[in-house]
Amino acid sequence: MSDKGELDLTGAKQNTGMWLVKVPKYLSQQWSKASGRGEVGKLRIVKNQGRTEVSFTLNEELASINDIGGKPASVSAPREHPFLLQSVGGQTLTVFTETSVDKLALEGIVVQRAECRPAASENYMKLKRLQIEESSKPVRLSQQLDKAVTTNYKPVANHQYNIEYEKKKKEDGKRARADKQQVLDMLFSAFEKHQYYNIKDLVDITKQPVIYLKEILREIGIYNVKGTHKNTWELKPEYRHYQGEEKSD
Amino acid sequence: MVTHRQTWRSRGVACRGAVSGHVPLISGGSRGRRRIPPEPDLGVRPTLTPVMAALGSSSQVVTEYVVRVPKNTPKRYNIMAFNSADRVTLSTWAQARMERDMSNKRIYAEEELPESGAGSEFHRKLREEARRKKYGIVLKEFRAEDQPWLLRVNGKTGRKFRGVKKGGVTENASYYVFTQCPDGAFEAFPVRNWYNFTPLARHRTLTAEEAEEEWERRNKVLNHFSIMQQRRLRDQDEEEEDKDKGRKAPGKGGGLRIHDLEEDLELSSEESEGSEAEGEKAARPKAAGGRPRKKKRKGRKGSEDEALEDSDDGDFEGQEVDYMSDGSSSGEEETGKAKAPKEEEEGPKGIDEASESSEESEEEKAEEKEEEEEGKATPTPQEKKKKRESSDESQTSEESDIDSETSSALFMAKKKTPPKRERRASGSSSRGGSRPGTPTDSGGTGGTLRAAAARLEQGRRAAPGGSEPPPQKRLKTEPGPPSGKSTPQPHSGKSTPSSGEVQLTEEAVRRYLSRKPMTTKDLLKKFQTKRTGLSSDATVNALAQLLKRLDPERKLIADKMHFFLKE
Repeated sequence: MSDKGELDLTGAKQNTGMWLVKVPKYLSQQWSKASGRGEVGKLRIVKNQGRTEVSFTLNEELASINDIGGKPASVSAPREHPFLLQSVGGQTLTVFTETSVDKLALEGIVVQRAECRPAASENYMKLKRLQIEESSKPVRLSQQLDKAVTTNYKPVANHQYNIEYEKKKKEDGKRARADKQQVLDMLFSAFEKHQYYNIKDLVDITKQPVIYLKEILREIGIYNVKGTHKNTWELKPEYRHYQGEEKSD
Repeated sequence: MVTHRQTWRSRGVACRGAVSGHVPLISGGSRGRRRIPPEPDLGVRPTLTPVMAALGSSSQVVTEYVVRVPKNTPKRYNIMAFNSADRVTLSTWAQARMERDMSNKRIYAEEELPESGAGSEFHRKLREEARRKKYGIVLKEFRAEDQPWLLRVNGKTGRKFRGVKKGGVTENASYYVFTQCPDGAFEAFPVRNWYNFTPLARHRTLTAEEAEEEWERRNKVLNHFSIMQQRRLRDQDEEEEDKDKGRKAPGKGGGLRIHDLEEDLELSSEESEGSEAEGEKAARPKAAGGRPRKKKRKGRKGSEDEALEDSDDGDFEGQEVDYMSDGSSSGEEETGKAKAPKEEEEGPKGIDEASESSEESEEEKAEEKEEEEEGKATPTPQEKKKKRESSDESQTSEESDIDSETSSALFMAKKKTPPKRERRASGSSSRGGSRPGTPTDSGGTGGTLRAAAARLEQGRRAAPGGSEPPPQKRLKTEPGPPSGKSTPQPHSGKSTPSSGEVQLTEEAVRRYLSRKPMTTKDLLKKFQTKRTGLSSDATVNALAQLLKRLDPERKLIADKMHFFLKE
């Protein structure tokens, strides 16, 4: 069990050589569709009088590209892909892996960089054209309508929302002044939960008319004009007993 | 435009599609082939597999391998890229540790307000959210996935690297890592992320402020090695001091008073070392200490290399050196204190450690407690300042002998006065420091220091009182030990540089005595020889005569005879 954060260096010790290959998008898409053990094709290396040629041949079954809708192949991907070999000189590239459990391991060093290029063919050109057409379609489209839209913004005698609101208001009635002691109790319990309250919120909580509530508040609380808690009411120091404050009731 | 095309034609290079009809596609392939070194070692080992087939003519060797793209691997593959100029050799790596660099987390963390109970607001989160929506502020969330990596190779003393994620890697094409399996087939894994790793410097670097300073002096400084050398020396000294102080601090807590006086009288360098240790707080975070120290350092350096200060020699003549720290510091506010330490940090602590340590005085210890109260950031400069200020007159001669120190001394002296004043503000110590280079006011040293120490204790006792240090101190100290400074202390402090001459006149004495009661020593301090231009004997005589003439009232305050005049 490796420590958290420890980089396992076995790959580096073994000097495992790896290739870093840049693969076109469509090809990686096809590879993701591979079945079984994941065989996608064959790699062919030809050493020819001091020159090396590498090429990749895509498997037959993966060559057909289905459109997004799952329709059968309109175009087929090219099968031959010569690799363009590049040097790895300017950088030292290593490969490290991360397992989901936060385990890190150094797998190896990149000894060869390559670019997988499709062999230029009719097939490929068609494929490319399709891709370009798709990507050039605008995301948003302006569409002309035959008839004008009449379903929204109809003039209404009184909006539904308004009707509900007025009904609610009628039913609740005006806020009545409750007993002062009750109001004080409500306030104290509210201030136990939070230290600073906006007057609107207090009106909501206590359901008292504003003027009456303000009078009571002036008795037991103070109004913060400046500071981080702007325009908020809080209890007077002598009424507070929050944790961490020395002064108490 | 036209010329350009002509050049192309003259070169005989075919422009792509611009000139002729059918243009051979200058494919990357052909170019690439030219660049490949012959026979690259592909790291590919041909093995026997049924798929492999060796075909081709005599000069060709053809091998084929199956390529597999495994699905559902638990591992996620990433690229760690190093610049080859950094000479990273994996063979030298014995062990390595890597973790995410979470230092940006606090930037993303929102302001923490308690959710409920004290300090919380009703619906604060809702309101914040509504506000953000209204203004269209979009907060970027902190994703651990995107944070850089910190790689440590070969333990604490090895190399360190920082790996930053490279963007846009998987946008248009995908990278795959091809590894060869024991069975000869290739397995291709997609690369999720690409991190560029750069080495972190282990050597000392200058901070931004220091770098700016150096930049300004780039035309004057020829020896660039000295820049870092000096910095290193300074840091070393500070570290030593820190260590010493840490050791001594716990030991001397109770017996401070006694020690103060002894230290004061002895003024030995050995003692000073020890007291120095005490003075500095070991607990101080090094960073906080380091930065003010650095500032001090650079200031000191600056003074050495060129004359930064504009002040002339005579500017400090009239400054009041209230070496006898009377408790009258009451008058000062504490506000300036925070500023002052910063200022003085800017000022070069030109006097080098040796002389400073030798000046180490009881002030260090006395101030120590005060320092703690003031705040951690300021202690070092304060300590140093105090050390310097407490630079006993006897040491001034030593200092003046040090060549390199003279200019820095002046500079420092200049800076010292504001902090000196501020320190008084802090309350516990009303001790003014003497400037280096002040001619020794040795006459009153012993007694003054003793009195100063006594007052310090008083002041310190007052300070832990806590809630009302300034007013309390003011009340205590004003009727209490006399101080050369009366309520218009800021004035007096500030006026000292300007009022270069204070004549020993009856008027002046009357003024002082009518303000508050003072002892003879205080009065003497007021009329320092430097300022009045008289010798100390002459001052004493003149003062005595004036007092006889004035015949002030006498009052015994704190076992000392105080004079004062009733209006």
